[in-house]
Amino acid sequence: MVKLSRYILVLTGVLVAAVSIPSLYWLVIAKVPPSPVIFYSTVLDDFIIVNSSRMEERSTRIDSKGNTYDQADYERVMPLMFFRQLIADGRMPDSINGVPMDPALLNRYNYSYRFNPRSFDAPTPSLYPLLESQSGRVNLEMPDDYFRMKRGIEFIVARDNKVNVEKSRLFTDALTEKGFRFPASIIAGIPTTRKSKDEGYFITDRDSKLFHLKMVKGAPFVEAIYTPEGFEIIQIECVDMRTSEYYAYIYTRSHGVFVLMDEVYDLQRLPVEGFNPYENTLRVNGDMFNKCISWIGENWIKAVAVDDMYNVVKEYEESWPAVHDLTEGKIFAALFPFHIELKSSNSSFIRLYLKLSHGYIWIITNIVLALVYVSFLFRSRKPLVPHIIDIIIIVITGVFGLIAVSVYPNRFHKKK
Amino acid sequence: MLKSLIYKEWIKIRWLALAILVAGILMQINIFLKVRHDIIFVDAANYWYSVLFRNYQYFGSLKFLPLIGGLGLAIAQYFPETVNKRIKLTFHLPVDEDEILIKIQTFGAMSLIAIFLLLGLFFFVGSSIFFPAEIIIPALLSSAPWFMGGLASYFLVGFILLEPIWLYRGLYAVLGAGFINFFYVSANPGGYAPVLPMLTLLTLLAGFFLLFSGYRFRKGEM
Repeated sequence: MVKLSRYILVLTGVLVAAVSIPSLYWLVIAKVPPSPVIFYSTVLDDFIIVNSSRMEERSTRIDSKGNTYDQADYERVMPLMFFRQLIADGRMPDSINGVPMDPALLNRYNYSYRFNPRSFDAPTPSLYPLLESQSGRVNLEMPDDYFRMKRGIEFIVARDNKVNVEKSRLFTDALTEKGFRFPASIIAGIPTTRKSKDEGYFITDRDSKLFHLKMVKGAPFVEAIYTPEGFEIIQIECVDMRTSEYYAYIYTRSHGVFVLMDEVYDLQRLPVEGFNPYENTLRVNGDMFNKCISWIGENWIKAVAVDDMYNVVKEYEESWPAVHDLTEGKIFAALFPFHIELKSSNSSFIRLYLKLSHGYIWIITNIVLALVYVSFLFRSRKPLVPHIIDIIIIVITGVFGLIAVSVYPNRFHKKK
Repeated sequence: MLKSLIYKEWIKIRWLALAILVAGILMQINIFLKVRHDIIFVDAANYWYSVLFRNYQYFGSLKFLPLIGGLGLAIAQYFPETVNKRIKLTFHLPVDEDEILIKIQTFGAMSLIAIFLLLGLFFFVGSSIFFPAEIIIPALLSSAPWFMGGLASYFLVGFILLEPIWLYRGLYAVLGAGFINFFYVSANPGGYAPVLPMLTLLTLLAGFFLLFSGYRFRKGEM
């Protein structure tokens, strides 16, 4: 029993060491530079890659041919992004590509969106506010109830925590009439009043069919949206576009990314080859002429620029040494056989994320540490046999195991 | 024998156990009075909004109560035993030494769990006056690791106090602090859900720690 308690202690010690020591290592030794951000310049017909990460300089801006830009040049080639500064300096061109530059219009078209895999693997709320989308008021207002979707849609009034039966029945009937089968699996919307207009929610039902639900003058508005056979939605992210171009981004199981067009509900596929919604972040920066879509992996970035018809006009790809190729990464992989993180960059959930180290040098380190332990046993004239399991633990878990077996010493062989 | 053993432990912890329970209930009364005030006099819909979409934890002030409770209870139970090594008297009883340690600890752990369950029940009843299950369940999931952390800290402190050598007490405390950290990582409401079974297992396994330092104490490690 006591021996068992020691092994439980040792294993807990390994767990704690495998969480805390590697994070201390990265705290002391600078972590990998964060990835670049890519924009598309209509003036240059080229990408501008902004790196604010490299430690030696502040921030660099390079085009795909390797030309560098200082702040003034950068603003000059990105007039649609920096129009306020350029107007203030008197440097703003009157027209670009034959289109006159109207600040109000530019402002409307400028748009950015970011997808993080963390938002995909995250706990979701199960109550949502359904705003009135045509109140006739300038500002949107928060309703006094929240809905949940189980066997039907139920509106719960916040003030007294009771269900509004009548409203619930009205909306449940409207949904059922359009073929909605409860319960809902994905509910996506923008549950805030801080947006330009309200488009309600995009909801998938039990059969993964897609629906649009909003409230118009107190009455339900429900639309069943056609999706092709085998179109398996895993995530919907609604956006608030002042140009009313599309409602939402839709991510599918087969790694496809679509935008759902405003009013007509057409699905437009985005040309994002190699994008994995479970691991990569995605960025969209749009202006009057183009959209620049970039997606980032661990050590690479890909980007495409598309025109207003979503035709690809330019592509770009860049990679840099992965962490395990850098000296600090190699030392890390040699020292530690694995490490455990409680949080992950790809998830909002707390888990014990076990990551094995790259390469095999850690095997040698582990064996050396085990031999050091054995020689220590010999030197202090301790028998080897009672320590066999400890030695195996060190061979498998390396430095973590050595720490754990030393902190909880094995003294069971000692005579009274 | 068991009866008198439990009676001895009860005398050591009764006032503290009551204090933890009363403190927990008073804190919750304060929490729910605030919730009631904000819902009636500020805006109920906005209050729900903060809880649902802004990660506002209306029960956040309870975070460290279980930890303090666990620490306090372990100190109340084991500190008197380490003064002049009084626990040796217990070890001289005609009962298996491991068994007696387990019984002492089980009594303490059960008392702590009973306090936590009462507080949890109070929290559930209080919350259901103001909120639906969709808010209460994530709240329970978010606070569950805090209570497990309280139980784990109870096990750890007992284990550390019984260790005879100061150097090792220090080392255990360092690794113990890393272990307790598992329960207090900041997360979205419900973010702890997937790791809760694993944390439950680790907390229960921590119940075995005491046997190791108890053994070292008995063998007279210096």
